[in-house]
Amino acid sequence: MSDRLIGKAGKRGDLIKRARGDTPFTDDLALPRMLHGKTLRCPHPHARIVSIDTSKALEIPGVIAVLTGRDLPERFGIIPWTPDEHALAIETARFVGDGVAAVAALDERTAVRGCDAIKVLYEVLPSAVDLDSAITRPEIGLSAKKDDNVSKAVDLAFGDVDGELAGSDVVLDGDYFFEGTAHVPIEPHCTLAQYDASGLLTVWSTTQVPHYLHRELSRVLRLSPTRIRVIQPPLGGAFGGKSEPFGHEFTAAKLAMVTGRPVKFLISREEEFYLHRGRHPMRLHFRLGAKSDGTLTAIDARNQIDGGAYSSFGLVTTYYSGQLLSLPTAARSYRFSSTRYFTNKPACGPKRGHGSVQPRFAFEVMLDRMAEKLKLDPIALRRKNAVGGNTHTINGMRVTSNGNLECLAKVEEASGWKERRGKLGFGRGLGVASSAYISGTNYPIYPNEMAQSSVQLKVDRSGVVTVFNGASEIGQGTDMLMATIVADELGLPLEAIRVVSADSDLCPVDLGAYSSRGTFMNGNACLTAARLVKEKLIAAVAAKLEVPETSVFVTRGALCVRGREGDAVPVEEAIQLAEAKFGALGAVGSYKTPPNLGGEYRGGTIGASPAYSFTAHVAEVKVDVETGVVEVVKVWCAHDCGKALLPTQVIGQIDGSVYMGVAEALFEEHLISPNGLHRGPNLLDYRIPTSLDVPQIHSMFVESLDPEGPHGAKEAGEGPLHSSIPAVANAIYDAVGVRLHALPFSPGRVLEALRQRKA
Amino acid sequence: MTLIPITLTINGDLTQVAVHASQTLLEVLRYELRLIGTKQGCDKGDCGACTVLLDGEPVLGCLTLALSCAGRSVTTVESIPRADPLLESFDCHGAGQCGFCTPGMLMTAKGLLAKEKKPSRDSIRAAISGNLCRCTGYGPIVEAIAAVGEGTVQPATEEKLPPPLPSYGAPRK
Amino acid sequence: MLPLPEFTLHSPRTIDEALGLLAKPGAMIIAGGTDLLPNMKQGLHQPEHVVSLQHLAELRAIRVEQKVLVLGAMTSLAEVAEHEDVRKYATALAEAAGTVGGPHHRRMGTLGGNLCLDTRCRYYNQSQFWRSALGFCLKKDGEVCHVVEGGKKCVAAASNDTAAAAIALEAVLVIRGAQGVRRVAAGEFFVADGARNIAIARDELLVALEVPRVAKRVSAYEKLRRRGAIDFPLLSVAVRLDGSAVEVVVSALAAKPRRINGAQKLAATQVEAIAEAAARECNPMPNIDGDVAWRKQMVRVMVKRALVRAIGAAQPST
Repeated sequence: MSDRLIGKAGKRGDLIKRARGDTPFTDDLALPRMLHGKTLRCPHPHARIVSIDTSKALEIPGVIAVLTGRDLPERFGIIPWTPDEHALAIETARFVGDGVAAVAALDERTAVRGCDAIKVLYEVLPSAVDLDSAITRPEIGLSAKKDDNVSKAVDLAFGDVDGELAGSDVVLDGDYFFEGTAHVPIEPHCTLAQYDASGLLTVWSTTQVPHYLHRELSRVLRLSPTRIRVIQPPLGGAFGGKSEPFGHEFTAAKLAMVTGRPVKFLISREEEFYLHRGRHPMRLHFRLGAKSDGTLTAIDARNQIDGGAYSSFGLVTTYYSGQLLSLPTAARSYRFSSTRYFTNKPACGPKRGHGSVQPRFAFEVMLDRMAEKLKLDPIALRRKNAVGGNTHTINGMRVTSNGNLECLAKVEEASGWKERRGKLGFGRGLGVASSAYISGTNYPIYPNEMAQSSVQLKVDRSGVVTVFNGASEIGQGTDMLMATIVADELGLPLEAIRVVSADSDLCPVDLGAYSSRGTFMNGNACLTAARLVKEKLIAAVAAKLEVPETSVFVTRGALCVRGREGDAVPVEEAIQLAEAKFGALGAVGSYKTPPNLGGEYRGGTIGASPAYSFTAHVAEVKVDVETGVVEVVKVWCAHDCGKALLPTQVIGQIDGSVYMGVAEALFEEHLISPNGLHRGPNLLDYRIPTSLDVPQIHSMFVESLDPEGPHGAKEAGEGPLHSSIPAVANAIYDAVGVRLHALPFSPGRVLEALRQRKA
Repeated sequence: MTLIPITLTINGDLTQVAVHASQTLLEVLRYELRLIGTKQGCDKGDCGACTVLLDGEPVLGCLTLALSCAGRSVTTVESIPRADPLLESFDCHGAGQCGFCTPGMLMTAKGLLAKEKKPSRDSIRAAISGNLCRCTGYGPIVEAIAAVGEGTVQPATEEKLPPPLPSYGAPRK
Repeated sequence: MLPLPEFTLHSPRTIDEALGLLAKPGAMIIAGGTDLLPNMKQGLHQPEHVVSLQHLAELRAIRVEQKVLVLGAMTSLAEVAEHEDVRKYATALAEAAGTVGGPHHRRMGTLGGNLCLDTRCRYYNQSQFWRSALGFCLKKDGEVCHVVEGGKKCVAAASNDTAAAAIALEAVLVIRGAQGVRRVAAGEFFVADGARNIAIARDELLVALEVPRVAKRVSAYEKLRRRGAIDFPLLSVAVRLDGSAVEVVVSALAAKPRRINGAQKLAATQVEAIAEAAARECNPMPNIDGDVAWRKQMVRVMVKRALVRAIGAAQPST
């Protein structure tokens, strides 16, 4: 269609409805007779639960029911191979904040009082609250076999790393530390559960994986999935922090079943930091080899990962800590050895750029050092070792479209790199970095041969098309994208498209809003369905006008016949013609990744994706050498999203990723004290930037038109975070000549580095 | 706990509601009056999501006792008409993604625009510095508010809906 | 939600009525609510009676008298920050008020409230759950200090931006009690006890702050913080210049803001020496969140910056 909405800067779409309260979020929902739930949490980093006495709580007027771990004995976990969580701890609690009991009461105040009245006797156990103790004290026994604290170990090697290193002209070593960070969506977690008279359990929850929640609810509650409906209301941000089932989702459901009344759990900001699943702290040791002409010979990475109390996505995280190092800048050989350890801290999980942001920081700083050593421009070094398009990486990942070089060129030009780098005077500098990311994972989390994303269209004879879409709208704009795809295919105005999403009773399955799969997978599923409807409209119009189907095409508002411009049939009429000809109109579309995208080795599926996005950043910083304060003045970011289907949203995703990366670079650290207590589980102590703490962000997109993406599109939500952090690190070096090896780049660290440089 | 009846003006409507001394304005708006447009992000004054106007001034609903609002005027995001230029500007600039901080952000912007007809970008950045946003990086929000002051908001570009087909509405001639 | 504990709210219409209510056992004052309410939500106070000063309009004015500037205790921090006369005669105070919290806190929060702000500590300003997991602390419900090993006196930090400025400006706090009015110099008002660092009885009421108007006096305030808004000070520095005489006050260290003795013997132009004296006399503690070593280094820098700005303001504009 010539006047497509796709590709045009437009509105956010549902923002206004959300902002004015027209679209309720989870905590905005209330049901008659609703009870309020609270979780009692363990005050010790590691403790055996000797006994729990709930009798005093049940005596409080207004307390309706109390649960303990024994009421929900089934283990759960997002990865089917590592279910190690209970809705409430049964025998041992593994971190300060682990849930041990739950109360449903008439109001929140009473629920809190109920929790306070529960008496738990603990036997405090030895704990590991940092990587070192997890490594050196295996007797603490946090692993499944209780013989060490190892959660997952991965060793993969591609090519002759030792040989290549031996033959290198330059070999550099570096040690890096990435402090963990939290997602901090402004909307806290919330779950509302209702168990109705027919025995149907309905759960409304702040989840970005409603399908997995549906499955896990069924398993943990030992209830047939046919008796469970999961609805995900719009989310007030997630960033990966809502992408697995959480204890309160099960306790809300169980309490609703026990009491026969709706139960709501609203998680407090403090509890948010205990649910966590934020970015893993990682200690990274990197070795990088190169020939004097700039050819990268080998990458050798050893990573220690602090996983927190539970497995979460940890198995996958461990692979991601190395798998994506083969793009976009690659060496002739590479290996990584990563071990994730359990610690007695809130569990870590996936945060925007799951597992790959930490090694990206280390690697891109190493590249900057290598460029300096070889007297090469850092962009030139990346160009020289760039992986092209339509190829396979050294670790077996199929790459199709690749806009890496164009991204580098864009930031090089926009930032005035050639003229300005190294010439801004002491205290001011530019740094570059680049990265690549997946557009969805090749395989679903639980092995199956079914579609990863499906969309169902229902076409009403009034001209309204309803998109039943399993995908999770979390603020990234999938609903708007589906509406736009359908509007364009069928020539309808946007206002005629309704999107019903993430309701297990109404929508076909989509696996969720994680691993940047939405645009690619959900978009393809939707496009397929819309094209099936379009075919029927064309067939009906062709039959009516007695012209060949090939001569009929859709334009905005009407179906036309090539060469007979006067014969336009309004879309609504075409719909009615089609309904008359074919019966009720609708279609389903599905997407499943093509086979064999990754390497044929254990773990080769992780990192494998139908398409990769590419990003380049240039950051400009100002360093106050008296205070050590780093100001990121401006960030130029170019991102290859294949095709910007909704440019306003794509730019928004790039802006937001850059913001979040810079926030991690300068401010954020999710710290647990040696006694196991969170250093400051609130928004005063965990400092996320205000409007006065953010750089000017210049976001640009590159359109490499992916052959398999919907209209050529790829992801944009996570990729643009990765290289923002090393770009800042490299800019600090350009500004004041110091290398920072640990995040965040706090003023104290910067001053210390400056002092050491002088010495 | 004693319930105390109070009268206050909410979005122009004289409203009577019975509250406890220990209830905040945020609690009463959201859970008693079901004005759910106002959001709760931290409930202790660190995020700004609960911003409403109290006698025209942006304040934090979570740190305002409901009782102290007796006789006063409270304005929430629900008061903003659908066709308001500020809403339009937020929508066009992508000045919100998940929309959760947006109500508070809008009310802070309303408070600012009532005082300064054409606020500078620095003034906007300062005014919204108590409203945390986790999606946008703030740039589009600053631009959206500035555009209202500068009068450069594109008028609503609602797509024109086609007239109903005769076959669906009136009988065909 | 974080439920507030139950209490009775009183809204007196006169100061005398307020004083009567404050005499009730367990009564606390609420002014703007930005300090009291979050603390109550974290279980730090459970007052039976809360006395709101909201209707005491007489506490809400800024008056320029011949010798002093009188700022009512209920004047909002935003007004203190923006008021032309305050900016002119009490620059450091206006600057300090302008850096408190975020814009909402400054609109809601009051000058009196900030002067009487509860001291802060990272082991204290936490939820009931968190503090119970810690085993509580000296300041509240416990017997151990987690900042100073074996410490018997609470070292929670004065975290009010306006305190250092009030002391530097030789301001006087006007306090009403059952016995009548008393005046306390700001330098005497704050005491070295983190449990309660203000010399005011619980049944007294701070009604105003009087700041002397002195010809050619200049002052400045510098705040160390990580973010541009919302944060409490990691260091709080106020300086005052009367010709070559200089006063430097540093706060956000422990409970009592510190007047830099070494500065008093020096001339204002000896910037490095004054900053050096301040650095020698100030030892930040790990009581508030932040890198202690960095905060220690920053004493010198913040003092220098405040002085340089004040000296600049003292120069006739050229």
